[in-house]
Amino acid sequence: MLALAELQSSFGEASLGGDTITLAPAIIGDGLQAEQRLSIHRNNTTVLLCEVLGTTYPVVKKLVGEAFFDSVARAYVRAHPPRSPCLFEYGGHFGDYLANVPAVAELPYLSDVAKLEWAWNESFYAVDAEPLSASALAKIDPETYGDLIFTLHPSLRLVASAYPIKEIWDVNQCGADPDARVDLNEGAQRLAVLRAQTSVTFIELSRGGFEMTAQLSAGKRLEDAFLSGQRLMADFDPTATLSVLIRAGAFHTFFI
Amino acid sequence: MDQMAPTAQSLASPIPSSPLPNRAGIGLKAQHYQEILDTQPNIGWLEVHSENYMCTGGPTLKWLTALRERYPVSLHGVGMSLGSAGPLDQAHIKRLVDLDRRIEPGWVSEHLSWSIADGVYLNDLIALPYTAESLDVFSAHVREMQDALNRQVLIENPSSYLRYEHSVISEPEFLLNVVSQSGCGVLLDVNNVYVSAHNHGFDPVAYLDQIPAHLIGEIHMAGHSQTVIDGRTIRIDDHGSPICGEVWALYEHLIKRTGPKPTLIEWDTNIPALDVLLGEAAKADAIMTLCGQRETHRACIG
Ligand SMILES: [Fe+2]
Repeated sequence: MLALAELQSSFGEASLGGDTITLAPAIIGDGLQAEQRLSIHRNNTTVLLCEVLGTTYPVVKKLVGEAFFDSVARAYVRAHPPRSPCLFEYGGHFGDYLANVPAVAELPYLSDVAKLEWAWNESFYAVDAEPLSASALAKIDPETYGDLIFTLHPSLRLVASAYPIKEIWDVNQCGADPDARVDLNEGAQRLAVLRAQTSVTFIELSRGGFEMTAQLSAGKRLEDAFLSGQRLMADFDPTATLSVLIRAGAFHTFFI
Repeated sequence: MDQMAPTAQSLASPIPSSPLPNRAGIGLKAQHYQEILDTQPNIGWLEVHSENYMCTGGPTLKWLTALRERYPVSLHGVGMSLGSAGPLDQAHIKRLVDLDRRIEPGWVSEHLSWSIADGVYLNDLIALPYTAESLDVFSAHVREMQDALNRQVLIENPSSYLRYEHSVISEPEFLLNVVSQSGCGVLLDVNNVYVSAHNHGFDPVAYLDQIPAHLIGEIHMAGHSQTVIDGRTIRIDDHGSPICGEVWALYEHLIKRTGPKPTLIEWDTNIPALDVLLGEAAKADAIMTLCGQRETHRACIG
C-alpha cells in the first residue's frame, strides 16, 4: 500500500507528464486502464494551467497562434509548475523562458512582449496606494530637490526592449485596427507600467528618463538618479520626465 | 476500522444557524461584476473562489468589496489542499484569514480532495484514498484551518474519476468521519455526487440520503460534460453547461428531506449571460419553495 505522501508525489509527477509505474497499481481500473483514468487528471492540470497562461499572455498567444501557444505553454507548465494556488501569480518566468525557445527565434521581440504582459499583470494586482500629488511637491524648497528620495507607486514596473513593444501590444488588443502594422525598425522602447487608479497604463520614457526612474525606484537621491540618466543621454531633461511621472501618479511618497 | 465510525455524539452537534439565506446564489464572475452592481438582481447571495481575490489590491478586490455591501458572500477555496500529506501552506492560510476578515463571508468552504504534491500546485481537485491515514491527515488539516479562521468551515464532496485499491470505506462515510473528527459542516455538491456515481457505479440517492440534513450548510448545483474513453462514458465536472435533468431530480429529492438550503449555481467555463445564471437560480428557488416546505414546517414544530 502506498503511503499518502508517496502516492501524491507519484501522482504529481504523472500529472506533469511523468510515468505512472508506481501509481498505476494503486488505481482501480474498473473497465479502463489506470493510465486512462490518470490521463483525465493530467489533462485537468495541463489544459487548465495553459489556459491560465493564455489569459495572462493574450498578446503572446495572438502573435504565435493558438496551436503553437498551447505547445509552448504545455512545456512551460511542465518545466515551471505553479508553487502557489493563486494563479494570478503564475507564469512570471514565461518571458525568460520564451527567450530560450529555438522555435520562436524569428520573433526576437516575443520575450519582451511577454515581460510587458507580466508587468501589466503585476501592476493590475498590486497593492492600492494614493499617488503623490504635484501640490505636495510644490511646498518643497527647490534648493533641496536634489536630496529628495521617492517611494514609487507600488504598481509601477519598468520594462525596456530593443523593439517597439508598446506598439506591438497596442495593435494586438481587441478592437485594434486589423490593418495596423508595426515597424520593428522603430527601435528600442522603454516603458513604465502603472496602475495609479483603476486601469493599467504605459508611459514611454527616454533612455535617460528610464534610467533615472530605475535609480529612483532603487531608492537613490533625485540628483544621483538624474546624473545616472545624464551619463546615458547627454541632452537628458529630467524636468520633463519628472512632470510626466508625477502627472501619471507614478510616485507614492517622498522624503529628504 | 472502528476508529473511523462516526459517533452519535459528534454528529449530533448541529450547524448553529445558516449564515447564508436559504435561497439560491450564483458564482460571481468578472464579466458580470458591472451588471450585478447596476441591476442588483434579486438573488440570495454570491460565491467566489477565494484564491482569485488573494491579491493585495487592484480592481477585482474593489468589485468584490462593492458587491459584498449588497449581497452575502461565500468564500469557496480551491487551493488549501487539505488532503495533502505535507503541512498546510502557512502563507496561504494567512492570506485566507486576511480575506475572511475583509469580506466577512457567510461561509468559508474547501474540498474533500488534494491539489499539492511536493510543493507543486496541480490546479486539480484529486480524490483521496479513503484510509485511516488520509482521515488523520485530512481531519487535522480541517481543524488547523478552522482554528486559524476561528470559524467552522464546510467541506465539499468532490467529483472523482478514479478510486484506489487501498480505500477501506466509502466517500460519504469518510466525509462523515471528517465531520466527527473536526466539527466541520458539509457542502453537498449534488452534481459531484451524480458525476461520481455515474463514473463508479454507485447509487447517488443512497449517497445523498447518508448525509444528515443538519450537517449540510450549503448545496452546489452545476453542469458537467461527458467524454468517451474506450467506449465508456466518463462524466467530467467542468461547470460549463446547464444543470441536467437528473441532477435537478436529485436536488428535489434532497430538498424534500432537508428543507431549503443555501444553493449555489456554479458555472466556471463557457460562462453565459447573467440572465442564464439567474434563470437556474430561480429554478432552484422554485424547487425550494415547492418541495422544501414540509421540512421547514416540521423543523419549526420539532
Ligand atoms: Fe462544487
